Amino acid sequence: MVSVINTVDTSHEDMIHDAQMDYYGTRLATCSSDRTVKIFDVRNGGQILVADLRGHEGPVWQVAWAHPMFGNILASCSYDRKVIVWKEENGAWDKMYEYTGHESSVNSVCWGPYEFGLILACGSSDGAISLLTFTGDQQWDVKKISNAHTIGCNAVSWAPAVVPGSLIDQPSGQKPNYVKRFVSGGCDNLVKLWKEEDGQWKEDQKLEAHSDWVRDVGWAPSIGLPTSTIASCSQDGRVFIWTCDDPAGNTWTTKLLHKFNDVVWHVSWSITGNILAVSGGDNKVTLWKESMDGQWACISDVSKGQGAVSTITDTQQNEQRRSQCQTRSNYRKQTEEEKSEAGDFNFYLNHFQ
Amino acid sequence: MAARWSSENVVVEFRDAQATAMSVDCLGSHAVLSGRRFLYMVNLEAPSEPPRKIGRQSKWDVGTVQWNPHKSESHVFAASSNQRVDLYSWRGGCGEVHTSLQGHTRVISDLDWSWFEPEFLVTSSVDTYIYIWDTRDTRKPTVALSAVAGASQVKWNKKNPNLLASSHDGDVRIWDRRKPNTAAEYLAAHLSKIHGLDWHPDNEFVLATSSQDNSVRFWDYRQPRKYLNILPCQVPVWKARYTPFSNGLVTVMVPQLRRENSLLLWSTLDLNSPVHAFVGHDDVVLEFRWRPQKEGSKDYQLVTWSRDQTLRIWRVDPQLQRLCVSDVVEDQMEDMSLTVESEKSLSSQEPESQHSVAAAAGNLQDSGGSLGSGARQDSVLGSGLPQTLQQEFSLVNLQIRNVNVEMDAVNCSCVVSAHFGSHQVHLVVKFPAQYPNNAAPTFQFVSPTTIPSAMRTKIQKILTDTSLQKVKRNQNCLEPCVRQLVSCLESDMTQEDGPPSGPFVLSNPVTPALQAFPRVTNTYGSYQDANIPFPRTSGARFCGTGCLMYFTRPITMHRSAPPTEPTPRSLSALSAYHSGVLTPMKMRSESQSTLRLYSGSPTRSDKDTVSISSFYYKERKSRRFKTKREGADYGNRPIKLAGKVIIQEISCLLAVHKALGESYILNVNDIQDTCQQNAASALAVGRRDVAKVWALASAATNQDLSPDSDPDTETPWARHPFGRHLLETLLDHYSRMSDVQTLAMLCSVFRTQAPPPDCYSLYGHQPSRSTMSPPQHSRYPSYTSGSLTSGSCSSTSDSITTTTWNPGRDSDHVNPWGESSPDDGRYGNPGYTDPREREREQHDMNKRLLDPANTLQFDDFKKCYGEILYRWGLREKRADVLKFASCPPEPHKGIEFGLYCCHCRSQARGTQCAVCKRLTFQCAICHVAVRGSSNFCLSCGHGGHTSHMMDWFRQQDECPTGCGCHCLLQSTF
Repeated sequence: MVSVINTVDTSHEDMIHDAQMDYYGTRLATCSSDRTVKIFDVRNGGQILVADLRGHEGPVWQVAWAHPMFGNILASCSYDRKVIVWKEENGAWDKMYEYTGHESSVNSVCWGPYEFGLILACGSSDGAISLLTFTGDQQWDVKKISNAHTIGCNAVSWAPAVVPGSLIDQPSGQKPNYVKRFVSGGCDNLVKLWKEEDGQWKEDQKLEAHSDWVRDVGWAPSIGLPTSTIASCSQDGRVFIWTCDDPAGNTWTTKLLHKFNDVVWHVSWSITGNILAVSGGDNKVTLWKESMDGQWACISDVSKGQGAVSTITDTQQNEQRRSQCQTRSNYRKQTEEEKSEAGDFNFYLNHFQ
Repeated sequence: MAARWSSENVVVEFRDAQATAMSVDCLGSHAVLSGRRFLYMVNLEAPSEPPRKIGRQSKWDVGTVQWNPHKSESHVFAASSNQRVDLYSWRGGCGEVHTSLQGHTRVISDLDWSWFEPEFLVTSSVDTYIYIWDTRDTRKPTVALSAVAGASQVKWNKKNPNLLASSHDGDVRIWDRRKPNTAAEYLAAHLSKIHGLDWHPDNEFVLATSSQDNSVRFWDYRQPRKYLNILPCQVPVWKARYTPFSNGLVTVMVPQLRRENSLLLWSTLDLNSPVHAFVGHDDVVLEFRWRPQKEGSKDYQLVTWSRDQTLRIWRVDPQLQRLCVSDVVEDQMEDMSLTVESEKSLSSQEPESQHSVAAAAGNLQDSGGSLGSGARQDSVLGSGLPQTLQQEFSLVNLQIRNVNVEMDAVNCSCVVSAHFGSHQVHLVVKFPAQYPNNAAPTFQFVSPTTIPSAMRTKIQKILTDTSLQKVKRNQNCLEPCVRQLVSCLESDMTQEDGPPSGPFVLSNPVTPALQAFPRVTNTYGSYQDANIPFPRTSGARFCGTGCLMYFTRPITMHRSAPPTEPTPRSLSALSAYHSGVLTPMKMRSESQSTLRLYSGSPTRSDKDTVSISSFYYKERKSRRFKTKREGADYGNRPIKLAGKVIIQEISCLLAVHKALGESYILNVNDIQDTCQQNAASALAVGRRDVAKVWALASAATNQDLSPDSDPDTETPWARHPFGRHLLETLLDHYSRMSDVQTLAMLCSVFRTQAPPPDCYSLYGHQPSRSTMSPPQHSRYPSYTSGSLTSGSCSSTSDSITTTTWNPGRDSDHVNPWGESSPDDGRYGNPGYTDPREREREQHDMNKRLLDPANTLQFDDFKKCYGEILYRWGLREKRADVLKFASCPPEPHKGIEFGLYCCHCRSQARGTQCAVCKRLTFQCAICHVAVRGSSNFCLSCGHGGHTSHMMDWFRQQDECPTGCGCHCLLQSTF
């Protein structure tokens, strides 16, 4: 059963904007409007503050862990237009690189798959996307896609390192010929796919469906199936799932996951790419799962302090459970409000039926 | 401040009106005052007459009222009331509602009649929509502009019938009604809510915004990132509107203590001080409108309505109007010190262009303001030239370190003094009378200039050139010249002083160094950027393999805005929530009038730093808790702004199980046992479906079903419906479930089962792949090892390569490969030399349970599962699985020989010609086609079987063909 294994009190002085755990799930990095990034060791339910990284001069929007084969490396981006790459050396965290090439707030950072080396994509409100590649010896190669999104870029997410069309007819005998691809979302209401060709980044696809700013995009991890999947969410409250079965990656079909009542800020894929966590301005977290017949259904609802309410299905049983949830959460609110801060997590659809 | 007190005005008191809005009709004959119970019609010709009334039945105040500005429809006016707009017609002394426009779902914040089409009306609402109505069809709006954020103001452009501007908190959006989907432009105009918006009467591109942030800003919407000019005020500005005469602007402030309820008239050319104050109202001025000019009269009349329930009419005579035109600048020029000037320039980044706009507007006004002159005006705007020297002086931006410019407009000259290190430069610039119309100024160095004379001459020449270039185009040249001077001095001084000291040594205290504009202005906390997304305050992420990490807004922080309103999208929305505990919710509960008037205009200090948390209303914990826990201490505790980060174990939702990862085994030697044990493991974690799959796998891998090596005996089990087909169905099922664990394990188990259990074959050559795709290792048959260094070239034919790669291969596979070139497959030649071989190969394919066509996909399953095992820390298990992944050998890198077929002369690769299908070359010695290892001379290109060549060159050093090439010398064999 789903259980809370840890509750970390970050002691940030202002609101938290992002949190992410490392590859092994042993460390948690958080960032906040208080301009700091904190790293906690959360093994065995503990919470030990490992580092309090100061260096940003504005609210820090997002953090991203690099693959551990490169060491313990964390990237953060901020309103102060900077991207900072932090590295742990001999137990001490320090700045490894600071990138100041953006002219407005940097809203999103994402490390590429380890197969590509240490490569970071950064999306900024100046409309540009930067790709920072570590070339060894303290050197970083910077490539910039100017005007990737008019008005601003809000999110970037890398495609898993799969050879395009590989699973069907890969020219054998060659080293896998990975093509670097990522997806971005911006204030032009567009989701755009980018591809590297001969060292140059080119716009590959433009996906239109949202009617307002795209706030987050997530490229689903691959388990070896030839389908590519992308989730995008927007200010318009909609979450779309984009899929592409075409090995050339040209034909994308879209499916509306759900229309929420408020802005959706974040989408995150599970490791097997079949569960999507959605969170937004309504202060709720919902989990969505694709059923065997390709339909998306809400399998959970994490809502904080507002009681667990969900209106996905209308069966009697669920109705009952929901009311139970509400009464329980109300009761809890009154008795141990500290705990209710931790939220309720109710599953009412058993996913293995 | 050249304030002249207007003596003549009309004051009429309407004690009971309680009007919230006012409008003047286009004929200038009537003003309508809208109270809650009545609309009062004031005859402006005889304002003291008792007003006529139109009764209304509504519990809502009138939000906005506006007369139709077209003469043909001058009897029509629109009044908004909550979500509805009523269109009244006023004829013959009585009026009535003739129609209503209903469509908005929330209160209407503003409305505006089109300047071009008398039927068109635009309305904006808190419901985030802006509707354009055709009053002839009132059922629904003709155009709906979706802004997502609620609008506070909407105004038609006065020159372009398709353009609209709307304000949303601190942003302005420019709309083209033909493209209703998105705004044509965004201006991140203000830090706080915009109260007033007004288009320039003559310039299509220019508008003025007034805001809670104590400023009026002027914009050219084509340059959305920079305002043209700013009018800083001490208090929030309620409205700022252009005057109907040129270069004027009237502002209404939100007074701090309701004392100075005056309207100020400004010249847009000089925003340092107002040119006039209309003093008289005792309370907040709610609305002001210009009464259209009477024919023959040069006066304008300003009609104002205040909360003191008086209507006043102010006369603005031509003298006052002229104050707004440029001669004011001249008057004030003399006493305008440079320090003031520089401060002003600091606050306004684009003084020059602002000026040109204003000047251009002035021009236009003089020329009658016809539509056709818009283009000319634009061109003037584009060139950006001030008209006179005085204007240039007042607007020049000379924020240059160590440089001081004293300007003397009267004598048409200025003195530029600069200090660079130990050098001083004083330069007198004299401007001729015609300047800048093709008349360049003169430059003269005066004492105590300390630079050498050679340099003086050089600089003088540069300056003259620069100025000539500019004045040829009738542009002024002071600023370019001064900058040129600085860069000259800078480069020369750097040469002279050497790099370390640098030109800008701040040693001279005489002229305090003015800091140039910092690249990053210190705007943290100002959140002025409209294109930065509103920060996330909650989020959820899957981490590691089975964790869901999430954080949400703390329970104690509530949205200030009601939950029905969507969270704003842009960070600039924060400016409206400047100081913590905020009002929107309270305001909504108050009466409509307070909402509309001065909504968000409470005169609080905005000193608190803005943070995202300002958007949320912090709820003090209720008393109930206080008494229950911790007592008095509770109230003092600071409210936590950061919520907790919660980590959930959600692996039960995933199809992969760590427990299974640990207990699964892969024993190559006993597949049956592997399957049975794995079935038990699956059962132990409750995956009954997987347990059954393992049972099936056990059955399918039974020795009884193992295929016969002879293709003729029977159809292999793989061709049976329960063979490959069953497995494919299973894989498909678990693919849909994203159960990569089961997928990878099945692939591994059946991988071991398929070929004879020979360990090497797992890594080595898979014959079956060659038909699906060319075999990797034989792609470059003339692979030469170390040929680069040795200079010799040895070609290895395929049979050798194949055997090298497959040391442990079954004997019955080796023979056919030795006989036929694998290039057959590559070059699309289906002609097997031996049909039996093809059959055998076919059989080899057929007897596999896993479709060899999908080997790569199966490998991906294993790699992906391996990655998950790695995250779980099960590295040995990962190695177990990855052992079963096929690993294609490294591709060949190095020199490859190109060949011309000896029969058909076409270019060929490898030992067989793609065109004539014959073996491509013959040994120079035995004249037999070469298939195996061969060597060639790099010089003459002759060669043959390696053994023959070795023998030949043991005794000889010339080419065996007799071509005369000394092969051994030319290229060492």
